[in-house]
Amino acid sequence: MSITELPPPVTSTLYERMSTEKKAELVRELSDVIGARYVLHTPYDLMMYEYDASIDRSTPDVVVLPATTEEVAAIVKIAARRSVPVVPRGAGTGLSGGAIPIYGGIVIAFARMNRILEVDYDNLRAVVQPGLVNLHLSNALNPQGFYYVPDPSSQRSCTIGGNVGENAGGPHTLIYGVTTNHVLGVEIVTPEGNIVQVGGWTHDTPGYDLTGLLIGSEGTLCIVTKIIVRIVHLAEAVKTMVAVFNTMDDASNTVSEIIASGVIPAAIEMMDQMILQAVEADTHAGYPMDAAAVLLMEAEGLREGVEEQVAQIVRVCNKHHARAVRIAANETERQLFWAGRKNAFGAVGRISPEFYVQDGVVPRTRLPFVLRRVGEICESYGLRVGNVFHAGDGNLHPLILFDSQIPGEVERVRKAGHEILAVCAEAGGTITGEHGVGIEKQEEMALIFNEVDLRVMQQVREAWNPEQLFNPGKLFPMPGRCADIKQL
Amino acid sequence: MAEIETYIADVQQFLPSLQITSDPDALRDYTIDGVLPRLVAMPSDKEQVAQAVALANQHGLTVLARGGGSRLNLGGIPEQVDVMLETHSMTRLLEHEAPDLTCHVEAGITLAALQAQLAAKGQWVALDPPDAEQATLGGILASNASGPKRLRHGTARDVVIGLHVVQASGEIARSGGRVVKNVAGYDLNKLYIGSLGTLGIIVEANLKLQPLPTSEHTLLLTYANVNDAMQTVMALLGSLLTPSAIELIDAGAASDMSDFFGLNLPTDGYTLAIDFEGSSTSIDRQLDETRLIARKAGALMGEDLAGKEQAQFWQVVREHTRGTVTCKVAIQVSQIASYLETINSVCRRQRLEAAVVGHAGNGILYVELRPGDATTRLVEAIGELRRQAQEARGSLVVERCPIELKRGISVWGEPGSDFYLMQRLKQQFDAKGTFVKGRFVGGL
Repeated sequence: MSITELPPPVTSTLYERMSTEKKAELVRELSDVIGARYVLHTPYDLMMYEYDASIDRSTPDVVVLPATTEEVAAIVKIAARRSVPVVPRGAGTGLSGGAIPIYGGIVIAFARMNRILEVDYDNLRAVVQPGLVNLHLSNALNPQGFYYVPDPSSQRSCTIGGNVGENAGGPHTLIYGVTTNHVLGVEIVTPEGNIVQVGGWTHDTPGYDLTGLLIGSEGTLCIVTKIIVRIVHLAEAVKTMVAVFNTMDDASNTVSEIIASGVIPAAIEMMDQMILQAVEADTHAGYPMDAAAVLLMEAEGLREGVEEQVAQIVRVCNKHHARAVRIAANETERQLFWAGRKNAFGAVGRISPEFYVQDGVVPRTRLPFVLRRVGEICESYGLRVGNVFHAGDGNLHPLILFDSQIPGEVERVRKAGHEILAVCAEAGGTITGEHGVGIEKQEEMALIFNEVDLRVMQQVREAWNPEQLFNPGKLFPMPGRCADIKQL
Repeated sequence: MAEIETYIADVQQFLPSLQITSDPDALRDYTIDGVLPRLVAMPSDKEQVAQAVALANQHGLTVLARGGGSRLNLGGIPEQVDVMLETHSMTRLLEHEAPDLTCHVEAGITLAALQAQLAAKGQWVALDPPDAEQATLGGILASNASGPKRLRHGTARDVVIGLHVVQASGEIARSGGRVVKNVAGYDLNKLYIGSLGTLGIIVEANLKLQPLPTSEHTLLLTYANVNDAMQTVMALLGSLLTPSAIELIDAGAASDMSDFFGLNLPTDGYTLAIDFEGSSTSIDRQLDETRLIARKAGALMGEDLAGKEQAQFWQVVREHTRGTVTCKVAIQVSQIASYLETINSVCRRQRLEAAVVGHAGNGILYVELRPGDATTRLVEAIGELRRQAQEARGSLVVERCPIELKRGISVWGEPGSDFYLMQRLKQQFDAKGTFVKGRFVGGL
């Protein structure tokens, strides 16, 4: 969805673009360390690395593809000596601009560090390299009856390193938690080029919980080169069901009541009418196209428990006027239900040339109010919006449809996005539940954090990455811009 | 002594409502490892904490927060403690958003008081550390205390969704928020949890809650040897049965429990206590299948516990992690059986006795060593046990010990290669050393 060159930063640039000579020297030096084959620097090669799945883009000067931690450390040392910024990149599926090198410099792509290094079924651990595709880990574990829980919708392509950087979630994190709840330790390279082990195989490593701090730090503190994750047993029974509603409010209230009643399903996803129509046209999952909203829900665990959960869920759905509740009859149908959900973003491509997805979170009980406001805001900007999201967590994903060829449309999309996040913040929520702040929501940080809160966070960056060698210009509001935001 | 007097004068002038005492007799009750605070203050809310810290910072005094005092002896011997802030007046449950399964609470509330209020709406915060009647939420978070049910529910890092923390400057900073999923900014909640007050003072917390389970049942199994017991544990972990807790109790610990609490556990061999929570139909099956697994591993069946008896049992088990000399060992689950043999041989060599209770499913053992005054032999034994734990990819922390022993050992062990990054954080957060030093890893 790359549509716009990034606007030039308002304040002084952290890094100047490097001269042709400097770049040639850098390429030579990097080639000596990891081999010329793995150093990309022609405009043609670099173009693949100028964007992620957000709406901004910027071209790196050099892309390197290291194979080992030592190579990563060597690259970082070169970068540090030359004061060239470094941005790590997994699969480029991020939705907030985390992998975009706003000041150019070196992008470290982890495509070659994609191995599972160790699996220990006795102790329920796996050690993986950051470039490993999320789904590939579960695929490798499934035959033994295990899997890795966090499952972002992009799990077929996104990497575990990227997941760690963003603290990624997914539909099944409602009961089991997000990436940070499943990672015990990491090996990192610091901005000085040191290789450091953080956390470990066992619990409660003495000292500060640096693992917890680093997960979700969006590449601004360190570069992760190895990850120790928890693996878990596949559930005995899984029941997936779809409930159809004539109003969004009924669907929202159902979500709140299911959870308040003491049942925490493995997943509760909501799709509204626009998304249903796009998904049906694309996946033919059998979703009704005239419904206002559909809930896709999953209960898993022991057979007996699942049966009870399903009964309770159906009861609550009916109480809130569900038009129909359909339980997947078999694994094929179950996969079809999920394919509709997981391909939803792609399916929207059928009805709009571009879309912009937001990631606000609100307390579940505020869903009816916030969803109404999302609709009103988009309407006021003359934009169409569809909602497909993790309702159980209150994690919204409004997809604002647009066409960047229409003059002024991108700006209106950004404004609508900002207003939506302001509503989430006011409702007691947050601006991002799993996509990260990146470039996209830097200004919105001021909606939920005050100056003191942000300064304390900046102390952390100061401690780890004082020169902003790693992923510069991200995560924090740009100086001088906060004031504009607060007026809104 | 001069600066403390000017501090007191400033408090009386600028913070007249802040309750303080510097009476030597009263202060004696607040001694930590022989170190006496020079002043104790009892703030009534987070603003008073903030103001008291800001003033201390200006006067160049050190500050330490105290909750129920149950884990105050954790860590190394503190350097100077000027102002101790006792949080026992900060006990309000500010919000309980029951339909959202979240709450916002002051840090001075005891865990028992919090759970009682949440239970009124059928919910609980999934933490079960020892001493719930005395331990405050703030203390539990600052010391990352946990209990047997962490197997299923995790620890503080899994339930905290937001914190209000008084910084060394006296400013109040928030991290996280009120919703269960949030990746905005750095996850500072994780940094504060377990940091023992070295980076800031936790004054309020937002927590994720759970519905109370509809039923709960505990199965007690006994084994002649530890290998059989651990075979059951490994089989359970590899099964679909999702126990909430698996506690391993050795003969030494069983004998203590029987002596002091009237529990009837076998005093030779090993006991496993396996807890299940959920619906009663699920639990029936979980118990049946656990019995099958256990029988294959040569278990002798013991009692089943439910209701009041069960609650008492788990309370006794939790309290047993608080001996005179107690080491917390974290190792791989697969290494527990051989580690217990190591404990036995080390104890034989050093003429010590051990009593072990452990969260077997998590690889966490609480090893009590006796007698607590055999300082020289204890130093030797702890050194050896620590080396063995590290070889099993783990660690050993001396959680409780007399001050004589504390002087002879490093309670946390040698800091790792990431220690310089921790030092830099401490430097950024508290350059002036307002928060008491000496207790945390590497003297932070």
